[in-house]
Amino acid sequence: MKLDITALGTFYDMAREGAGLAAGRLTRMTDVETRVGITKLNFMRGSEIRTEFEDGIPKVGVRVELSGGLDGHSLILFERDAALRVVSALVEEASADEFDDMSRSAATEVGQIMNAGFIDGWADVLGTAIDVSTPEFIEGETAEPFLGDLEEAPTDDDLALLFQSQIEAVDTEIGFKHYLFPEQESMADILDKHTDPDSQGIEYDKLAGFDEMAQQGAREVASNITTLTGIDTSVKIRRLKFASLAAIPQEIDDEMLVGVAHELDGTPSGYLLFLFDEASAREVVEATIPNPPDDEFGDLGKSAIKELGNIMASGFIDGWANVLDTTIDHSPPEYIHDYGAAVIDPVIIGLGENQDFAFVFDTVIKAEDREFDCSIYAIPDEADLERALNNLDIERIEDAQTTADFPIDEVENA
Amino acid sequence: MKTYGSEPGAPEPVQVGISEFVVRGKESTETLKSYGLGSCLAIALYDPDSGIGGLAHVMLPDGDAADGADTQPGKYADTAIRAMLRRMVEKGAAYTSVEAKIAGGSDMFEFESFGDGVGNRNVAAAKEELGKLGVPIIGEDVGGQRGRTVEFDVGTGTLQIRTADGDRGVTEL
Repeated sequence: MKLDITALGTFYDMAREGAGLAAGRLTRMTDVETRVGITKLNFMRGSEIRTEFEDGIPKVGVRVELSGGLDGHSLILFERDAALRVVSALVEEASADEFDDMSRSAATEVGQIMNAGFIDGWADVLGTAIDVSTPEFIEGETAEPFLGDLEEAPTDDDLALLFQSQIEAVDTEIGFKHYLFPEQESMADILDKHTDPDSQGIEYDKLAGFDEMAQQGAREVASNITTLTGIDTSVKIRRLKFASLAAIPQEIDDEMLVGVAHELDGTPSGYLLFLFDEASAREVVEATIPNPPDDEFGDLGKSAIKELGNIMASGFIDGWANVLDTTIDHSPPEYIHDYGAAVIDPVIIGLGENQDFAFVFDTVIKAEDREFDCSIYAIPDEADLERALNNLDIERIEDAQTTADFPIDEVENA
Repeated sequence: MKTYGSEPGAPEPVQVGISEFVVRGKESTETLKSYGLGSCLAIALYDPDSGIGGLAHVMLPDGDAADGADTQPGKYADTAIRAMLRRMVEKGAAYTSVEAKIAGGSDMFEFESFGDGVGNRNVAAAKEELGKLGVPIIGEDVGGQRGRTVEFDVGTGTLQIRTADGDRGVTEL
């Protein structure tokens, strides 16, 4: 399957419009004002999708199978409590604690109307009819009941393309998620039809391979942090997403973050950011400076964070450089301590002169035993990424996977 | 429908995301808010006579030179200012009494690819376009190396600016 940026951009916009349609229908039905949250086109491995579902919160879903113009499944997912509230607003005599036949059918109806909003959006853009099966009502706490029986749901190591949107009700805690899992073959056909004939596109397998190297880079960074701070960390979330530049800062918490930004020079060029919340950054400073200062974010603290940044940047991009058989240089770290969105918007602007969308390699590293996390955002220049991947020999990825685990001592002595 | 988890009282501010602009008419008491501006620029236009105002959260300087400014005028300083002004006039604002306040446009990173500064370019482009249109800038808090969160009160025309840097606290323009 070839990924064409123009086509992906069209689908991204369309998924966002579909979310708008679905939100509008929910508003008309329940009289509650809704707002469309973030829409994402994600490339996720089965293991990552399962982790996302396994947050310990009971959920209900309304799922339909699609065929015709687009094959796959569309799933509206809501927290069980939120679904019960919606149902009690629609059906006065509905139970507020349990799904009986009546509330189940009301919830299915709501889910179905919203699913139809998304699917109508797709059908419009594709200019074809999409057939929709009878909706299924599903309850569960893990991914298994919702996705276990889907052929297109990826196995742990497979990278699947999926669309995710969020709809929130204004002034309430009711929120919905929509997932669209297209069958790969069907998605490949659709992409093919919408490809810009002048563009080269990116081979899906190469992107998946490149993402595997990012995964390896992320593991390397976790290991660097553990070695240098003594805090036992591991990679908790790994995602590759395709998003409009304007949407990227919206996803970052509106809290103060501390970290470093690097400019990447090579094929691909781009930007690489490592961000800690303030408490985690304080821990880094305290763990890496022999006599920690009172002000953790003074000169000593800044240089400790920058030094860690340098090591993490090398750890992260070495795998990419190896597999691409190229050099990727990273600039000296620029220290930042600011609002989340403000930290990333200069980078978005830097890329925005030449592109509207970006692939974002997004990682969260967490400590095993306490609140400590580090987010990594690697955002390559899109044209460079396309060039780099087209030159990529897929066999190198397989070789690199067996050889790229370089010992941590090398990093310590670097 | 019942609502849950909400408190009675002040309405939530309307969020103005990157590349968006929002215009509110007479008698609006709403607050328009843009979070975490780094090198992006917030442009607030206000007609004190009619009480019509708007806030734009622009990302890039020059829409006239770019493809796609037609579909996303709010993305660029020049096209956002013109589109916002046009919408305000449609709602009843008098072109000649509109005033501007701008905030943001920091340059936090000295990267080679940023040339003379991406924030700086946004500020310059907004000033140039406002100058061309004869809209006076009556307040600004731009540049530097810190992020800003802005809230624009359409009832009074006040632009409130918070910086991440605790010493400066809140500024009002």
